[in-house]
Amino acid sequence: MRRIWAFFVRDATIAMSYRASFVAQLLGNLLILGVFFFIGRTVSSETSAALAPYGGNFFAFLLVGLSLGDCVGVSLTTFGQQIREGQVTGTLEVTLMSSMRLSTMLVYSSLWNYFFAFVRFVLYLGLGSVLYGVSFGNANVPAALVLFVLTVLCFLGLGVLWASVVLVIKRGEALMTTIGYGVILMSGVLFPTTVLPGWLSAMSSLIPLTHSLEGMRLALLTGARMGDLLPIFGKLTIFALVFLTIGFSAFDRAVRSAKQAGSLTQF
Amino acid sequence: MCCWVRDMKDNGIRADSGAQNAVGPALRVENVSKAYPARKSLFRRSRNEAPAHLVLRDVSFSIERGETLGLLGPNGAGKTTLLKIITTLLFPTSGSVYLSGENVFQNSRKHRSRMGLVTCDERSFYWRLTGWQNLRFFAALYGLSKKDSDRRIAELLETLGLSQAANRPYQEYSTGMRQKMAIARGLLGQPQLVLYDEPTRSLDPLSAFNIRSYIRDHRKQTPWQTHLIATNQLNEAEFLCDRVIIIGKGRLLAFGTIEEVKQMWRDGDYEAHVITWRGPRQISIAPDPAAGLLAAEVRADTNDGASSIKVQVRKDSEGLSLVLRTLLGHGAEIVRCELQEANFDEIFCSLVQGEAPPVREAAVAGEPKV
Repeated sequence: MRRIWAFFVRDATIAMSYRASFVAQLLGNLLILGVFFFIGRTVSSETSAALAPYGGNFFAFLLVGLSLGDCVGVSLTTFGQQIREGQVTGTLEVTLMSSMRLSTMLVYSSLWNYFFAFVRFVLYLGLGSVLYGVSFGNANVPAALVLFVLTVLCFLGLGVLWASVVLVIKRGEALMTTIGYGVILMSGVLFPTTVLPGWLSAMSSLIPLTHSLEGMRLALLTGARMGDLLPIFGKLTIFALVFLTIGFSAFDRAVRSAKQAGSLTQF
Repeated sequence: MCCWVRDMKDNGIRADSGAQNAVGPALRVENVSKAYPARKSLFRRSRNEAPAHLVLRDVSFSIERGETLGLLGPNGAGKTTLLKIITTLLFPTSGSVYLSGENVFQNSRKHRSRMGLVTCDERSFYWRLTGWQNLRFFAALYGLSKKDSDRRIAELLETLGLSQAANRPYQEYSTGMRQKMAIARGLLGQPQLVLYDEPTRSLDPLSAFNIRSYIRDHRKQTPWQTHLIATNQLNEAEFLCDRVIIIGKGRLLAFGTIEEVKQMWRDGDYEAHVITWRGPRQISIAPDPAAGLLAAEVRADTNDGASSIKVQVRKDSEGLSLVLRTLLGHGAEIVRCELQEANFDEIFCSLVQGEAPPVREAAVAGEPKV
């Protein structure tokens, strides 16, 4: 527990030491909400049958997509970034001198980012409600929290898998950006997957975010009951188990390979 | 022995019964070789792929408990690679490393926690955090309790003269202060084995002297700790180390006390001569290991207007006659040629430049396997 706290305090202190950047980040979140609000107003929600299952409000649809998409973005990028930062700054080598596993260190190093992502998630929804009138009166908050945790676990596995790629190829930002766009295109962050062509819509079901968004919108916007969301919980649990297993075993292999090649601290 | 075990308990040091009770050397490096694999093209096989790069060749040595061993070698000799292998940050191609008789590559996390690494890389801290915050983070990482870590950090900062700067951001520290921080971090967990990677590199002479003095004093206070200091500062090794090993091009060249290495040179196949001549002054003579000429250093002119050069040659080789022939060929008049006692710097240079075969062991018989 002391180690978890040490990582959290370290990252929080560093993040908040860049005060201007910290404030600008929060301000940026506020502004992007405005952008989505006016996009929502431009698009006539009433005419879209695809939005009907989520209450028909396009801005509310976007708001949930944006909030959860932000958390997923953190999962996908934070682990690779931590590795790369450690390599570039030279801290990776000395942190590895402890008795901790590198993969455990990586997870601990992501805690601040996850915490801040959760704060932004709540902030997005709160501001969306207060400033732009989105109603969460019927929201099933416990179900939303379960979905949040399952989503984080799914993408934590993928993020660790990505970190193992970074250990090997060192720079992979371009590849990750491309994958990110693919996820945005297919998972329904900005529009319902039902508007996609049939084959693309079928592919989207292979992405856990599609199910997370579906469940989160139903829980927050329509107040879907736990029982209705069980199939989604099940799918996300399976995704999480598979990705966590693949992610951590790939990472262990990448560390072994890097220790063999002497490239662990190269960048 | 009893005394230092009690000291460790008083200071809240992690109990390591295995380390205390184990017999044999504190660290044993056994036939370690390391070859970095050739880089392969990601997309297609290249005909010009580089071959594997051999960095260490069959290196063996051991360090006794409480001993300080200097790991000497020129840049690129394999010192850092060897430290990384000992700390399990790098796997050897063959051979193994034993800490208190236990193979470090089995349950490596446990063994890492018994080692402290002092790097020369001042970037390896969090620059936005204060000195105290940095050390507190690493203390938690190395498993110290809050109480122990606060006491230990205060103690280390005090003895290293950093107490006043403890709450200043690390980025405001001078290079010397950063190096002291690296030492503090390496010693935080009271490790059984402390490894230093060029601890005074890039420091001014005064800061370097202060760091060396601290390490020497610290050794006296913690006689149970074993130290391995990789350096290419020979005066540092002479000041701090009980014994040294010299490696060059990945091979172990010498092992023993500095006096033993010097004696080994005297008994070995090498000798130094100073040749004084009159005549032309601008004569350039380059080492020629194949001919047995290992080093040549032109010295300042003597008072009587003569010039001199100091050469290290392999005994019974053409090295000396090569130098004499060159001088005579330039019209020099040889005044005298004297056999000289080589100092440690010169012996070191000859060893690492000369492509000499591994020198006979200077250490206690049976310990190192060269």
